[in-house]
Amino acid sequence: MGAHISIPMYQRAVPQRYRLIGQRCQSCGRINFPPKAVCKYCLQGTTFENVQLSGKGTIYSYTIIAGGGAPPEFAAEARCKGSYPVAIIQLEEGPRVIAQVVNPPEEGITIGMPVRAVFRKIYEEEGVTRYGFKFSPA
Amino acid sequence: MSKSIISYGVYLPYLRIKRDEFLSALGSCSAAMKEKTVMDIDEDVTTMAVEAARNALAGLDISRVGVLTLASTNFPYQEKEMAGTMVEALGLSNNVLSAQHANSTMSGTQAILSALGLMDQNDQPYALVVVSDAPTSAAHVDLENGFGAGACAFVLAKDEPGLAYEGVFGYSTEAMGLRYRLPGETDMRDIGVKAYATQDYNETVKAAVSGLMEKTGRKLADYNHVILHQSDAKTAAALAKKMGCTEEQTKGGQVFAQLGDTGAGAPLLALCRVLDVAANGDHILVCSYGSGSGSQALSFKLEKSLVAQTNKPMQAALEYKKYISYVQYLKLKRSI
Repeated sequence: MGAHISIPMYQRAVPQRYRLIGQRCQSCGRINFPPKAVCKYCLQGTTFENVQLSGKGTIYSYTIIAGGGAPPEFAAEARCKGSYPVAIIQLEEGPRVIAQVVNPPEEGITIGMPVRAVFRKIYEEEGVTRYGFKFSPA
Repeated sequence: MSKSIISYGVYLPYLRIKRDEFLSALGSCSAAMKEKTVMDIDEDVTTMAVEAARNALAGLDISRVGVLTLASTNFPYQEKEMAGTMVEALGLSNNVLSAQHANSTMSGTQAILSALGLMDQNDQPYALVVVSDAPTSAAHVDLENGFGAGACAFVLAKDEPGLAYEGVFGYSTEAMGLRYRLPGETDMRDIGVKAYATQDYNETVKAAVSGLMEKTGRKLADYNHVILHQSDAKTAAALAKKMGCTEEQTKGGQVFAQLGDTGAGAPLLALCRVLDVAANGDHILVCSYGSGSGSQALSFKLEKSLVAQTNKPMQAALEYKKYISYVQYLKLKRSI
């Protein structure tokens, strides 16, 4: 089993997945991404304002998915490429997100490397393409 | 009311394959590009369209976009409002007049023309036109060798100086058996008579260009840049020469050698290449062609440099690349 996400669940997350909409906590001012019901920083705020994130960040940590380690929805990608990098990205507004890295440099990915969000196909299921963000070297 | 292109953006896939790869793998290559663009496994017409549009919209107030037209011969869905994906990915107002143009490599200029018309239907000052294409066929189809991929986007504005739209002449006629695709089929068909294909291209494109000259009272020599739809290496250049164009007029818009055949995007990616280098006061002619057959010749004048020109977006996109082997190419096409 892969990380199956139903169409209604994916649909609800379109603003964050397509264009990185985060939420600023009205109580402590920190930015939550992905949006939460309660602020993950102050654990109190429940009201938020939407913020457009820039998509700019740096590599905080990364790993290479290879050798059958890919979940089923990414199996075709792993077969095609042999392996693909997945990183934790430190966004300039504060949050950290997990995403794939496209067009990795020949010399490999490095911690602290600047990256920017790009719009890509994440996977396809039931004939419905799930679009979302990946990150490319800036 | 005057209407002008005030911004443009380009997206080309990072991956490229050289023609030599085809020669060493297959012993031949049906297309005479030097290299061409190849979509990555997680790219499609929509992802390229979003990236090109983001580049075109940079620095503009996107809440003022009231029209969104799209063009491609290869949309990811046969039926779906693709503009919806674009609106959400770009953060545009949901109140847009949208139109999608497909089924022909003429659809790029059609999308510009429909945007110009739709702009009269609301009070918003901006329209966004996105042309993204990646013609495809199975690897064994002869035509496939030259198929590239790429996207470009233009912001049109009312009464703002930029690349001013001056007029159009359209021409359509029946031409059977040239580059066609049936419902449910993924492979391009063609009866494969090169002389017939070239004759149709020449007659159709020439009719559109001549019609525009007659309509505007100009001569071809009045244009600093003449862009004729390129779906192969030589046909467009040969026709331009036949019509009396100098190399000076046509060299700015050469894209086939680097990109391959970008379908509906071909004449407009060429326009982006010209815009990288065009000077104030330049007259630019852009002519599309679609098999079956039709052509639209559009006339523009650069009245004021576009902000994007300082970054030469087309040049930058052409230079950001990585070469792949023919085997990797087949894997990306999911042929092996």
